[in-house]
Amino acid sequence: MFQLFPPHRVAGSNASGTTVLRLGYVPLTDCAPLIVAQRMGFDERHGITLELHRQPSWAAVRDKLLSGELDAAHALYGLVYGVQLGLGGPQADMAVLMTLNRNGQAITLSAPLATALASGRPLREVLAAAPRRPVLAHTFPTGTHAMWLYYWLAAQGIHPLDDVKSVVIPPPQMNDALAAGVLDGFCAGEPWNAIAEAEGVGRTVIASGEIWPDHPEKVLACRRDFVSARPHAARALTMTLLDACCWLDDPAHRAEAAGWLSCPNCIGRARALILPRLLGDSRLPGAPLRFFGDGEVNYPYLSDGLWFLSQYRRWGLLGDLPNLQAIATAINQTTLYREAAAALGINVPDSDHRTSVLIDGVAWDGRAPERYADGFAIRATEHA
Amino acid sequence: MLRILLVNDTDKPIGELREALSRAGYAVVAEVDGAAALLRAVEELSPDVVIIDTESPSRDTLEQLAVMGHAAPRPVVMFADRSEPQAIRDAVGAGVTAYVVDQVTADRLAPIIEVALVRFEEEARLRKRLADAEQRLADRKLIDRAKGILMDKRGLSETEAYETLRRQAMRQGERIAEVARQLIAMADLLG
Repeated sequence: MFQLFPPHRVAGSNASGTTVLRLGYVPLTDCAPLIVAQRMGFDERHGITLELHRQPSWAAVRDKLLSGELDAAHALYGLVYGVQLGLGGPQADMAVLMTLNRNGQAITLSAPLATALASGRPLREVLAAAPRRPVLAHTFPTGTHAMWLYYWLAAQGIHPLDDVKSVVIPPPQMNDALAAGVLDGFCAGEPWNAIAEAEGVGRTVIASGEIWPDHPEKVLACRRDFVSARPHAARALTMTLLDACCWLDDPAHRAEAAGWLSCPNCIGRARALILPRLLGDSRLPGAPLRFFGDGEVNYPYLSDGLWFLSQYRRWGLLGDLPNLQAIATAINQTTLYREAAAALGINVPDSDHRTSVLIDGVAWDGRAPERYADGFAIRATEHA
Repeated sequence: MLRILLVNDTDKPIGELREALSRAGYAVVAEVDGAAALLRAVEELSPDVVIIDTESPSRDTLEQLAVMGHAAPRPVVMFADRSEPQAIRDAVGAGVTAYVVDQVTADRLAPIIEVALVRFEEEARLRKRLADAEQRLADRKLIDRAKGILMDKRGLSETEAYETLRRQAMRQGERIAEVARQLIAMADLLG
């Protein structure tokens, strides 16, 4: 049943006087920190009450953050930056409070393509031999999965905008589309890659942690005016999710969380399909899904945000914007994060930048994002 | 004539918009129920406008077409040119989002959205009326039970029992049904 107006709220408090925060999430394995925060009562520890609201699409997450129906959300890193730039939708000033996880996504190809690839033929050849221009799906135009897919293809000499057709399919529909031959492969979060293997419609060919070892994935996102209007709530929320991420570092805890994630009101798929990759499937090379690592995962590095801006430039999604550094600095709430981490005794890095080497051997340290973007041989030929 | 594609893949009966849109002179070229069918319909039928429930999982599919698109739908989400939070809230709450191709100007879009909104507001009112009626019925039952208790325990007539509840409600500044609920709870407690 739908409502004409969102249910009204009494100044964000409940009867007992604690602050109620409405959080959105998309049912994926890496929404675990939100589920854990509520199940373990970490919210109460920090004087807030979390209300979790499952969302059917990233577009819905965005709209509800903008309308104020949600205070914050589990969001694709790239969604936050896309909204900040108004790419393909409404624009708003956004904030990243912390990174919720690294790695843990994957690319699945249809069984025939995966078999051809496993025989040692280069991907470029395998895709060129397909009877049609391969159709590869991801989950949101400016999102992380689009960027992992594009980066992986380009690293093997395949132009993601010309040589393949890239579409978006909601993850729960990916495997039917693969089985029906509508799709040749996809990049998405778990458990959907694991389910493709279990159903025999496709195989995981690479984990995202091999494309960019320790890449940032989901973030805790909100509107920037939420941070300025309610800094205490934003800090308490960050501390709550830090507690949850820390708790998830223990494999025994992840086993427990897998049960919660499998509930019908969350992912609604068998625990056995969720658990192995939540634990970090050892058969997949590359950095495994991480939530905390003594806080190393969670710092909202400016270089992480800048990477998405660099890729938007690479793929022609933005023209010559004045100052990419200033955009990232405004979005990523490093000061607030430092306060939250300090209150919990969690280590923070000295620098707002970190250095990574991606699958093509190119290093990224957060400096000169324009030059980095323009240095790739495969990129959009014209800027949008 | 504007060619409209309806995406009908949630519990919400967005398919019912078809008739309202037809009456208003629009051509509903297709109705699809999932992302794969949506992609095919956009490609093969090139609709001018796609109307979709805000809670549809297929919305991200349209977002991608919009960002990558050449002749693809662009999300002129209804509140695109009205940035006030209330307008956004109303639009999200009303549960309809439109995705439109470039060439369709805002003034051509407006009537479509209007039709969609009117349709959904009517429905929301209907549901509200139904909910109100259910509430009244539930209230009536509570009051009858409370009257029964008063008549039984204090030997009052039905009119006197009702008057007692009404006076108490006025004193407490509560609805009569609420006073009745409290009285029943208390009676249960005292046995």
